[in-house]
This record gives sequence, C-alpha cells and structure tokens, in this order.
Amino acid sequence: MRGITGLLGLTMRVWLFIAFVGVSGVEAQPVSAITFTEDIRPIFERSCWNCHGEASQLSGLDLRSRDAAIAGGTRGSALVPGRADESRLYRVLAGLDDPPMPMGGDRLSEVEVAAVRAWIDSGAHWDEGGATSAGAALSALENSELPPNARNYWAFQLPVQTKVPTSKVFEHPIDRFLDSARREVGVSPGPKANPLARLRRAYIDLTGLPPTPEQVNEFLSDTERGAWERLIDKLLESPHYGERWGRHWMDVARYADSTGFEQDYVRPNAWRYRDYVINAYNKDKPFNQFLKEQIAGDELDHVTDETLIATGFLRAGPRVQFREKDNPERRHDYLDDVLATLGRGVLGMTVHCARCHDHKFDPILQKDYYSLQASIFGYVEIDHPLLDRADERAYRKANADIDAKVEPLQVQIAAIEEPHRNRLKLELIRERFPENVQLAAEKPADERTAGEQLLAAQVLSINPPRQRVVDALSAEEADRHSELMSQVEALDRERPPVPPMAEIVTDGDYRFAPDGPGDEVIGCPECRIPPEEPGTFLHEVGGPDYEAPPNHFLIRGDPFSPGSEMEPGFLTVATYGDPPTEIVRPGGRTSGRRLALAEWIASRDNPLTARVAVNRIWHHHFGRGIVRTLDNLGKMGDLPSHPELLDWLAVEFMNRGWSVKEMHRLMMTSEAYQMVSANGDPSALATDPENQYLWRYRPQRLEAEALRDTIMTVSGGIDLSVGGKPIFPYVPEDILKTSEGKGHWDNQTDGPEVWRRSVYVFRRRSLGFPFFDTFDLPDQNQTAAARNVSTVATQALTLMNNEFVLNQAELFADRLVREAPGDIDRQIDLAYRIALTRSPTDAEVEVARSLVGGQSLVDLTHVMLNLNEFLYLR
Amino acid sequence: MSHQHHHCKKRTFWDRRDFLFQSGGGIAGLALAHSLDQQGLLAAAQSDTCEAPVAGNPFTPRSPHFEPRAKSVISLFMSGGVSQVDTFDPKQALIDYAGQPMAESVVVRQGHPGPLMPSPFGFKKHGESGIEVSDIFPHISKKVDEIAFIRSLYGRSNDHIQATYEMQTGQIRVGFPSVGSWVTYGLGSESSSLPAFVVMNDYRGGPLGGPTDWSAGFMPAAYQGTLFRAVGDPIVDLQPPAGMTESQQRARLDTLAKLNEIDMAQNPGNSELAARISSYELAYRMQGCAPEAVDTSAESDATKKLYGLDDSMTEPFGRQCLMARRLVERGVRFVQLFHGGLGQQNTDTWDAHSNLKENHSQHAKETDLPIAGLLTDLKARGMLDETLVVWHAEFGRMPISQRGVGRDHNPGAMTGWMAGAGIQGGQVIGASDDFGYKAAEQRISAHDFHATMLHLLGMDHTQLTYRYNGRDMRLTDVHGTLIPQIVA
Repeated sequence: MRGITGLLGLTMRVWLFIAFVGVSGVEAQPVSAITFTEDIRPIFERSCWNCHGEASQLSGLDLRSRDAAIAGGTRGSALVPGRADESRLYRVLAGLDDPPMPMGGDRLSEVEVAAVRAWIDSGAHWDEGGATSAGAALSALENSELPPNARNYWAFQLPVQTKVPTSKVFEHPIDRFLDSARREVGVSPGPKANPLARLRRAYIDLTGLPPTPEQVNEFLSDTERGAWERLIDKLLESPHYGERWGRHWMDVARYADSTGFEQDYVRPNAWRYRDYVINAYNKDKPFNQFLKEQIAGDELDHVTDETLIATGFLRAGPRVQFREKDNPERRHDYLDDVLATLGRGVLGMTVHCARCHDHKFDPILQKDYYSLQASIFGYVEIDHPLLDRADERAYRKANADIDAKVEPLQVQIAAIEEPHRNRLKLELIRERFPENVQLAAEKPADERTAGEQLLAAQVLSINPPRQRVVDALSAEEADRHSELMSQVEALDRERPPVPPMAEIVTDGDYRFAPDGPGDEVIGCPECRIPPEEPGTFLHEVGGPDYEAPPNHFLIRGDPFSPGSEMEPGFLTVATYGDPPTEIVRPGGRTSGRRLALAEWIASRDNPLTARVAVNRIWHHHFGRGIVRTLDNLGKMGDLPSHPELLDWLAVEFMNRGWSVKEMHRLMMTSEAYQMVSANGDPSALATDPENQYLWRYRPQRLEAEALRDTIMTVSGGIDLSVGGKPIFPYVPEDILKTSEGKGHWDNQTDGPEVWRRSVYVFRRRSLGFPFFDTFDLPDQNQTAAARNVSTVATQALTLMNNEFVLNQAELFADRLVREAPGDIDRQIDLAYRIALTRSPTDAEVEVARSLVGGQSLVDLTHVMLNLNEFLYLR
Repeated sequence: MSHQHHHCKKRTFWDRRDFLFQSGGGIAGLALAHSLDQQGLLAAAQSDTCEAPVAGNPFTPRSPHFEPRAKSVISLFMSGGVSQVDTFDPKQALIDYAGQPMAESVVVRQGHPGPLMPSPFGFKKHGESGIEVSDIFPHISKKVDEIAFIRSLYGRSNDHIQATYEMQTGQIRVGFPSVGSWVTYGLGSESSSLPAFVVMNDYRGGPLGGPTDWSAGFMPAAYQGTLFRAVGDPIVDLQPPAGMTESQQRARLDTLAKLNEIDMAQNPGNSELAARISSYELAYRMQGCAPEAVDTSAESDATKKLYGLDDSMTEPFGRQCLMARRLVERGVRFVQLFHGGLGQQNTDTWDAHSNLKENHSQHAKETDLPIAGLLTDLKARGMLDETLVVWHAEFGRMPISQRGVGRDHNPGAMTGWMAGAGIQGGQVIGASDDFGYKAAEQRISAHDFHATMLHLLGMDHTQLTYRYNGRDMRLTDVHGTLIPQIVA
C-alpha cells in the first residue's frame, strides 16, 4: 500500500482523500491516507517546530507529540482529533484565526492546508510516536541555500556605469542623467539660483555655518571663471567641513559619550573617536580606508594610535556594562548592535532581521547572520594608553611591579582584619535584622533548617564598613595595620601617572574580562559562572596564535539554544568571488577576521558599500537620497529614483579613490545643485509634487546642530576652536533631575566657554540635550537613517523663549550696534546680510523699522532668528 | 495670563449614544491623514479661537478603526516594582510555608535566594465582588467593584530599565515608541492648545530609564511625551523671561508673521512654511493654556481633599492625579504619571530590597487616597466611562525574602489593573501560581496589555502601524492577544 500511495503526489492524495470522504460520507481510513510521516511531518519541520518544538515552545505550545498538541498551550488546545474546524492548529494555519501561522514565515499552500485538515479530520494519527527531528530542522536552517534568482535584485548586482545620456542643454553628467528622467515625466528644471543664495547654500551645506559678510564680499569679488569651483575648494579646505560632515557620519555610527541604560556611565575618552572622524573627513581619508580602520584598525598592516582610536566605532553603541561575561544575552545584544550598524549604516541592509530567522524579505539567511557574527565574535573593549610602544611597555611594567609588591601587603592586612570582621558582621546583623534572621546567622551551620541556610547565606555576605573594623583593632594590631596601609599608599604614589587613554576594540575572550564599572553591583562575586576552560582576556604574545572563543548558530536567536559552531563569513548574496574570511598573521594577537570582513565590505566587489555611501552624500546635498531609505537598499526599502545615476556615481566614487571630497565637487558643480528652490512652476507641482525629479532645489530645515551653530555665528559669539573634550551647555536643573543619579552632566553656565560648535556637545544617552531633542535629534542608540523633520509648537517655544536664544539675540543686536553705530537703516541692512546673506527688500525694511521703532533692536534680531528663511537651507 | 483663559476650552464628554462613528476612517484614512499632516497639506486655517485646526499639526484628531470605548488614558506607573503578594494577590501558601525554601529553584538578581516570606500586611475582602486587597490600600479597596485586576501579568527582564521599557514600549531594548506615542500617533489630540501626550514625574525625580520611557523612538519627535514639571511652568521654555512684556512678545510674533508671509509668497508650493507659521500660533496659545490646565488652585476644597492635597504625605501624587484629570478634561489624549523617582532607590521608589514593610507602607500611603480620589472624581464628572485608567509597575517582586525583610525583583508575575472605559469592574483576571512566583493561568504579556489598551481606544493593534526600517512596525510587534474579559 505504501508503495502505491508513496508514489502519488501530495496533491493527488489530498484530492483522493477528499473525494473518498465526500463520496462515502463517513469517517474512515481511506486507501490514500494522509500520513503524519510523509505529509504532515515535513510541514511541521519546516513551519512549526522552530517555535513549537525542541528548541522552544512559544505560547507554551509543544507540537512534538499528539498528546502535547491536544493539551495545547496558553491559547488552549491546538488539536481536536477528528475535528479540524475546532482545532486551533488547523484554524491558524488556514488563516481562520489570529494570528495566522506560521508566524512571519511563508504561508502553507492550499494543498498543504487541505492535507492538515484531512489529517486532523481523519483522527490526527501520529504514526511515528511523536519523535521529533528538531535536529533535522536545525540542520536545514544552518545549511539553507539562497534561491537561485536571489541575486537578480538590483542592489545585489555590481554597479556598472551606463553611457551618460546625451543632452543638448547640459554638459555635466549628473544633469544629463537627471534631464533624461525629467524629460520622460515632462517637468522642466528651474533656473540657476542667484549667487548669494548659492553661496549660502554651499557654506551651510559644507561647513554647517553661514558665510560672514567678509566671506560674501570675497566671493562676490571673484569675477573670474571658476569662482564657484574655487569656492567649493576653499570650503573643503576649511576645518569646519569635517565638523559638519563628520557629524553626519556620527549619526550612522550611533555615537554618544555615555553607555546608556540604567547606569549610563560616561565614556571619558569617546571624544577621541569623534575627533578621529572629523579629521578623517578633513583629510579626505579614502572612504574604503576609513571603513577598514573603524572595523579593523587593530589588524591593519600599519597599526597606529589613529587606527586604534578608529575602532571606537564598533563600541560606540549602547552597553549595559553589567556582567556581560555572565550574561550571554547581553553579549549577543552588543554583537547585534555592531551587526545592525554595519548592516544598515554601511551595507544598507537590515542584516539584524536575520538574527532569529532567515530574513523575511531580503535574501539574507540566518546562517549569514551568524557567519557575520563569527567574523566579529572575538571583539573586546579595552582602554589603550596613547604612548609609543616602549613607553607603553614601561607603563604596564611599572604598574605590574607595584601590583606585585602590594599584593603580599594586602594579604597581611586582610589577616589582621579578618577575625574582627567576622565578629562585627554578627553585631551588624543583630542591629539590622529581625530575630529569625539573627537566629539563622548565629546557629552553627549544621543546625540550620533549609530556610535558615538561605537566610544565613544572604546576610553573612554582608561586610561591616572598613572603618568599623579598623576601630575595633587592638592597639598593637592597629599599629601594624596602619604601618602596612602606609606602605601600600607609598607604593601607590609611585605609580606612573595615567597617560591619555583611548577606548578601542581588539580581539580577546570576553569570558575573562576584568571587572569594570557596574560589575560590583551584584555584590555577589561567588554568583559568577566560571568559564569551563582556562583562558585569558587578552591574548599573550609568544604563544600559539589567537583563537576566537567559539560562537554558535542560535536557534531563534536564543543564546541558550546553540546550534553548530560557526565559521566566519559574509552576506552570501553580496559576495562575489571567494574573498578570504580570515587574514591571519603569524603570532598574531587577533584572528584577522574583522580585517577580512572590512576588506570584503570596502571592496569594489561589494555591490552595496559604494552605493550606500554615495547615496548618503547625495542625500545631504539634495535633501533626499536617490534611494530615499538611506539605510535600506533591500526589497522593503525604496527603489532608486535614478538607478543609472546612482550606479554611475558609485563607480565614479570608487574610480576616484573613494574620495568623498571628489563627490562633493562632482555633485555641487552640477546645475541641479545650483538651481533655485523658489520655483512655483504649477505644471511641475502638479506632475511631481514631491520634487522627485529635481525641478527645483529641495529646501531642508537645518538640523539641530546646524541651527544652534548658525545662531551663534550670526550673533558673533561662536568659538570655532576645533576638537577636544566635550562641553556641557546649560540645562535647567529640573530637567537634569528627570534622570538624576545615573549619567552625568557637568552643567556649565551659558557663556562663551560653551558657545562651541554643537558637534562638541556631550552626547548623553539617558538625556538628549533639550535644544537638540526639540529639533529632532535622532535616537542615539541606533544607526540613523535620514533625520525626522517635525514642525511642532515646542520648537517655536524654544526659539521664542529659550534663554540661550534670547542671549544670542542680544549679542547679535550688540554686534549690529558695534558695526553700524547709530544708524537704524544700516543696522537693519546688516542684520539681513549677516543672518540671511542678503539685503532686505523695501517691504521688509518697512516692517523691520516699525518694530525697531516701537520696541528695540533686540526685538528685531530675535525675530530674525525665528524666521522661516533662517531655519531652512534653500 | 488670565486674558488668555477663555481660549483654554474643556472638551465635551460625549454621550455614547450620540457618538457618530466616522466611517471611512480606518487605517487607510489614518495613514492618509498622517501623510497629509506630515506634509502640512491640511487646511491652513488661521483663526483667533483656541480650537482651530493647525496646518501641519501632527495631532489633528483622527478617526479610530472602530467605535472606541475610551478617548483618553491616564497611566499610573509605580516605578521600582510593586510586590503583588503584598498588594492585590494574596497567597496563603506564603503563610503555610513561611521560612522554608521554595521547591522550585529560583533565580534572583541580587545575591542568594532566601526562604519564602509571608506578607507583613493583612488582606480583607471588599465590595460586592469580595476581591481581597491588602490593608495598605484602605481607599483603593473601596473601589474594587470598578477595577479589573490582572494577576497574571509577566515581563521578560528583571532589570528595572529593560522592564520599564517593556511596559512602556513593548520592547526591552531602547529605541521604540512608547504607548503614549502610539496612541497620539493613532488618534491625534483633541486639544489645539495643549500637548497630546503629557508626562509627569514623581517630585523626587524621574523614573528609572529616564526620558526614554516616554520617547517616540523611531517616530517623529512630535509624538514623544511632553514633560510637565510639578513646579513652575509646566513646560520648558513655556514663558518668556521676566522682563519681556506681553505686548513686546506680541509685537515680535506679529512682525515674525508679517515677514514670514512675505517670504511664503515668494516660495510657493512649500507647505512646511505655513505649518511653521501655525506652530507659532499654537505655541502662543500654549503659553496661556498650559499653566491654566495644571493650576489646581481653582478647584474646590472638597476636590482638593478628595485627592489628599491637604496632607503632606498624599499631596505630591494627589496633585499629579488632579492635574491628570484637568488635562484629560481639556482634551489631552494620554497622561503618564510616574510614582517613585530617582534618588534613594530603596526608599524613593517601590524597589523594596531592603525593607518591604516600610517601603510599601510608605508608597501605598502616598498613592492610595489620590488614586481612589481620581476614580471617584472621574466618575462624578461623567468622565470615567471615556477615560481608561491603568495601573502597573515594571515587574512584581519575589515571594521569597531578601535577608528576611526585603523582596527582590520578579518579572515572572505581577498584578496590574485597569478601570474606566466601560470595563467590567470587580473581576480578577488570570492567576499566578500558589506562591505568586510565576503567572500561571491566562498569562498576559505587555503586548497583550497594550493590545487591549489600543482596542479600548478604538484601534486594532495589528492595524496601527508605522513604517520604519522597511517594516510596518507595531506597538505589539508580531504579538498581542486581547484580554477577553476586558474587551467583552
């Protein structure tokens, strides 16, 4: 019988079954029965057992046996044999009840649904006793393959330059691509903006600062051909360029100066990474090199302090800082933070979606995720002294020598204290705890009841304050104790001064990490889970090569459900050729896996990296990316509005040595960049209201930082010094109180010391700087795509009433009086030229004069800082 | 500011029978309205009344998916973690097995596990329903017939912050919008002179987790909660500094409007400009209306007494509860109150590691009368049926002791409750196990709790989505089951 039915396809057997029951009208075992083993089991393996099998039983439901299915989970019984319509299993698979199953996965085909129905209606015979093959399911996941056409999607094809379209009007390749698209939809580009508008646009776009009247004059006096190109070159040479464009990258790098979560510890040296980024942009570090340094700056051929500081990128995200070594789930969250940042920020792919299952929309396998995780798994966070090698050795040795001398002294001190400590401990317990607890603590251990043992263990770990112990010493003991203590103090004074430190990443074994801030919170060192095998935190040089600690495929992303050990690897769909997954160096202290990852990411053979990079540059210049979803080039992201242009730019970027400044020159010299923003062409508005085809320049509201910097530039109060430790501009005390106790804000009064550029404002995760928050500061915990632009009343309130803004308005008025004393008309004219890079119209002069006449100059300067024109780059 | 008071309208509480459900709303309409708002394309009506629509205002009232049971929410968050077995979930087994180890192996956050500890408080049956409540809540216990208690709520983390994020956003990680953000995103606001989502902290400081507890996550910042301060102006930068007169500010704003209009005429087809002009008008109205909304001085002595404003112990939280009622009355959609704030965690929040009896007696006393007063007042004013009141902490506490006096965190089981919104009171939903260690019967997750809240507000949690990261994100992710006894 098996022989015949086994040859029939599932469709046929379902059909036969339905026909049989339909005709006979009685429940019977038909010839071509649907069997569990042949028909149902494959469905369960593929679609059910991942969540309701050996690895996990979500909603308490276990589908490994008939009894368990009948018993059901938190939502009740899943199976009523003989009655598919009443079986939750059937109803959710058929989509009759919510939530439709399988959750998130491919729905069952109609034939499969019918098979399940038929199988239940015929009694749900579990003809194999319910043994499962979760192992088989796991193995299927670990070895799953991409569908053959996965790479057909545009973003996974390597970009190639198509022929630049011809144009009668335009010369610039960008304009020729844009024009061909415009002609297809039937919109016409607007005219060139006037020189002052273009000047302001270029200044704010490249440096985040408006031009001063002197800079305006300088530009206007350059009447030779090539003035625009010279302006761009000049701005790219400005140290303020890196502050502006470095800040864009810091959004991608989810940069902050504190760790986030409950304690929100300060990262005292995080700013060195921020300065590294600013310098990298100022130096026009090739973007591929920039990426390699950030991902593997400790594994390069030439490792320098600079490349080590660059690895701060990997650890810039939020961290609990609390017993990572004992909490695999936290370790995996940190690794996920890194992969999500690399994925969305650098590759434009939501790689992190594949942490628990194959990606639902893009061809990213769960095994890709764990291969990528293997590539970074060795990563540990350390402090690195910024000394040359010899000094670093000397520094470490000096400390180690002192440690060696201190240790025996500490042993002697402990021996003196110990007996007193134990006695005082009982005293303390008598003072603080109820009778039952005292009783438990004082009883000999073998007389305690089981409950008393627990109480005793809880209270006997309490230690009396050290001073109390010292006070209890006998005179003789006290002398000896104090002698030993002063010896320790003397040794500590001999320690070398702490050198400047950088917060970097290298390879090691997190399971042996020394205690850091937060590790003492638990107050229970003996609760720590010791690693199963011996090891060290950092790899000793001179021994065998470093090996990363093992990392596993995790079933449903659960750190407690490991599958096979993983080898390093990349996104299968975006890997061309056979790039190495480890670049091992003999005697190396690291695995070389991150270097291999960086080489794959920053390669011409990676279809994603260059596209994502040029698309982000385009976004900042034109207010919207060619692909609007900057961090998602996958199927759930937007399609490129100008695919050929995007690819042409990506290839051009790589051809020009991954030079970001070359991209600025290329994009800003296009006519599209220099076009008017005030273009009310009704036909274009009707055809393309979103301005997707760039028939006018897209106005952009200044980001929070640019707005604050522009206000201070206009008032003349800004301090333009570059780099260094972060600043803490004034925050009202009652706002600080909302997250008091944890985190840190070294509140400074509003004044010239904090009128530095906004990129230098301390980024605290537990409390966004209120001015920035109001103007759409992105979430600092995740890599950011385009910033939100909201228009809400609190923004108006800030610009109307905030003390900082009002102080700046007064400073601005003082400046006008200083530069144009006694002449209201000149003051008004100057106010416009400083704040808006243009002179006022007659109508505007009239309005301004009537305000100044009735009120004061500060009233006008304050109004200027609130104008729509002031808030928008256009 | 009294000259502006007449603008600060209270909303009319509708009669359920008169409520006209706006068909044609639903998710498509909602998404459309939102997209129009974002682009500021809705009518740019300039008006001198307080209640005029504002162009580009992301809070323009929107139709729910179906007829809502409630229009607003007052959420009472007891920060630090309330012990279920000492408040609303009495356990005889703790008395029967006092001082013995729990059979099941227990994972604690701090140090070693202790033995089972009975509640230091007595319990009595109350109301017609006979629900048992701890003696530390003498006033809330009189309200049991209006409250639906959920004894099988559970969370995923024993860390304060992560657990708080879970109850507030559905996720234990940072970066997700809070319930208040989702509700205001879904429904908008009925006030054009007050924020849609208001947060008030304990007078001792903000809750663990800080502003992330009311953040908009990946949504536009407009949907984050606006923190109202307990003293001084409720909103940061609400008022011009001392020295600036009303007429001076008005002159600045009038000039600003004139110059912006000149500019707008030269920049056709740019709707954001009109939206920003309107935002200044709203800001100006808020200056007058927000202080009035939180000014409790005009309330009668009887009302003040009802909320415990006459007793220094109950005054701080009583004032917050009273302010919450006033805000809801004025059209605020979501009011989030936190009780328990940073400072000395063991004493200033419900985090009773070191002495449960002292800690919970104190915090119960601080909140009991104010919360009961709020329920009484809402009912007396006909507002209770349209206002959903929820009460919970970030997790429950252990049935075993810490050093014989305290209790450690326990996300395995906690009690939360809901009232108002036409919910059938006097019922107990779900159950924890014999010791109150884990939710046992009808386990209810934060997602289930949130799904139910959205449902009561007329929204289907599977349909309320926000596109981010290539996905239609939901408050309940891919989870969430309605609590049938509450939505019935």
